[in-house]
Amino acid sequence: MNNSLWTVMSFTMRNKLRSKSFIIMTAVLAVLLIIGGNLPYLIDKLGGGGGQASKVGFAQGEQAQIVDGLAKYYAALPEPDVELVAYPSEAELKNALENGDVKGYLTFSEDAVGAGGFPKVTYNSKSAFEGGTASSLTAALQQAKTESILKDSSLTDEQKAQLFAPVAFETQKVSFTNEEGKTEEEQGMAVALTYIMIIMLFMAVMITGQLIATEITAEKSSRVMEIIVTSVSPLKQMWGKILGTFVVAILQIAILIAALVANLTLPHNSDILKSFGINLSDIDPLLLVFAIFFYLAGFFLYATLFAAIGSIVSRTEDLGQAVMPITLLTLVGFYIAIFGLNQPDSNLMLVCQFIPFFSPFIMFLRIGVAEPAVWEIALSVGILIASILAIGWLSAKIYRVGVLMYGKRPSVKEIVKAMKAYKV
Amino acid sequence: MNTLQVDRIVKNYGEKRAVNSLSFEVSPGEIYGLLGANGAGKTTTMRMILGLILPDEGNIRYLGKPYSQEQLSMLGYLPEERGMYPKIKVSDQILYLAQLRGMSRKDADANLKRWLEKFQVPEYYNKKVEELSKGNQQKIQFIAAVIHNPKIVILDEAFSGLDPVNVELLKSTVKELRDGGTSIVFSTHRMEHVEELCRNITIMHKSNPVLQGPIKEIKKRFPQERVIVASEGKIEGLDAIPGVDKVIVHEHGGYELKVSSPDAGQRILQHAMAQGPVTKFEIKEPTLNEIFIKTVGESHE
Repeated sequence: MNNSLWTVMSFTMRNKLRSKSFIIMTAVLAVLLIIGGNLPYLIDKLGGGGGQASKVGFAQGEQAQIVDGLAKYYAALPEPDVELVAYPSEAELKNALENGDVKGYLTFSEDAVGAGGFPKVTYNSKSAFEGGTASSLTAALQQAKTESILKDSSLTDEQKAQLFAPVAFETQKVSFTNEEGKTEEEQGMAVALTYIMIIMLFMAVMITGQLIATEITAEKSSRVMEIIVTSVSPLKQMWGKILGTFVVAILQIAILIAALVANLTLPHNSDILKSFGINLSDIDPLLLVFAIFFYLAGFFLYATLFAAIGSIVSRTEDLGQAVMPITLLTLVGFYIAIFGLNQPDSNLMLVCQFIPFFSPFIMFLRIGVAEPAVWEIALSVGILIASILAIGWLSAKIYRVGVLMYGKRPSVKEIVKAMKAYKV
Repeated sequence: MNTLQVDRIVKNYGEKRAVNSLSFEVSPGEIYGLLGANGAGKTTTMRMILGLILPDEGNIRYLGKPYSQEQLSMLGYLPEERGMYPKIKVSDQILYLAQLRGMSRKDADANLKRWLEKFQVPEYYNKKVEELSKGNQQKIQFIAAVIHNPKIVILDEAFSGLDPVNVELLKSTVKELRDGGTSIVFSTHRMEHVEELCRNITIMHKSNPVLQGPIKEIKKRFPQERVIVASEGKIEGLDAIPGVDKVIVHEHGGYELKVSSPDAGQRILQHAMAQGPVTKFEIKEPTLNEIFIKTVGESHE
């Protein structure tokens, strides 16, 4: 009668999908992601990088040579982010700043710094955190200074051009399993995917796991459980519930990812992403397969545990306390993984990649950002699958006796005793 | 063939024996009473019948067949602790439970509408359970137990918490089920319901079946100990009649006598008629309540 498994699943899904909290949460997250998806474009627009250059004032006639250099530098840029505006005196500059006509203005002090005889330049603005404009000015001044010194040298224009040309520099990760190493872009995408996947797994476990446990406890405390366990075998009920919740969770994630990706691939966004060196097609398909596998494995490992815990608690109020150990376990796994993003080959990682409760996080992370040996992956996956089966089996047993035990939360001893009595 | 056969079932919880060698049979169209004080083993017995736990010894047969997943669809259960999903519509959860027991959604829907009509609450179809009163939730719960036309229905304290009108309504529904050929195992503390509904009973005490059989025969086994007699005037010298142990004078006329032998009744009647016209004379058979208290109380010692 796999029919009843399907009945439990569809009942779980129907109620979940209809619940207001689910609809609202999905909608809110989708809106956030749509905003997030358009963020590159918005930053580009709002940051003033493309459209409007920030106006920077200077006093007419002062350090004309440097100002000329600056003007030349910005004139050469395809999209200058600074526009220089001349004012007759420093007092008027201050006025202009106060009125908002300029974002800031430059002043020069005569005491030269260093040997070049280059004056000290101060950028005056309303806020000390004008990072973008200040760094742009720094680069411009550096160039102006270099040019003012080079002007007197005997270098040819060609040599000068060579001097100013940026060096070609690229990082490449060496891969031992694949024939070719990953390029920097692929590496960047791998880190991003790893990061997203770890956060998604963590959220899936925390949210769906809690949801499953809460629902089972609620069924118990409302005593509807007594009718259900006499209608369908507890095992089918447990798996129906886990699978039903899982399908809903996947559906939710699919909606969210679709919202994000659809917006990221819009022409105005994808151009900007490309200019940052991000290309969605740089994701290694094998990494995606691993992402899906570890996501599923992590989900089922924790979901069965949450189901077992939910089944032994009689009242919803007691649930938080009861699931605390699992919550902590998830948190530890999550934080180790976040820590490991920077040090994927540390000893901690090497040990944790084999511990079943952490391996969905850690092993995936290492596959993403480091190069674990094939045997490491195989061993980790093997341990993980074995422990899912073992924990699923144990959880089913606990569930079988747990759903019929009322009163205070039973101790391990009592559960074992009940298992013997119920012959499960 | 009897619908339900329970044959010497034994269940131990660790050291403690919860049910000790209990046997009984329920035929089609019969309501069987399962009585006992709290903790006597009734719930364990019902859980074994429902297949939630397996008996350590003995066996249970449903229409002659042992327990299997297929038997689930012929069982209906109304648990003592009532509960439904509070935030889910009546129709959704009843249909869900019916489907779990192997019914098609369409049949279940037709059945549900019929039952709601019967209880005169068709408007509850689209209501959430938490919006209903306690009594009406009970009706819904009852529907959940019988929606799939089970052959065996287990009712644990079916009428508790209901007002007298609804008790009568549910009682007549239970009788209809019985007349339709359903076998019902009925557990309650309300002896008057048992006397009204059940043909055979088992009284359990501390895991043991202490008294079993048809109610009529059980009552015969207990001496008729009470005689009520009343006349228009006073009746003198009742306590001098041989066999009368105690005389209680009722406030509104009449006497209640405790007797030690059944033939004392005839002597009391003659004695009373000699003194004037008798308006009331009754030899009372023991109530089930008395039998229960006596049985369970005696075994205490």
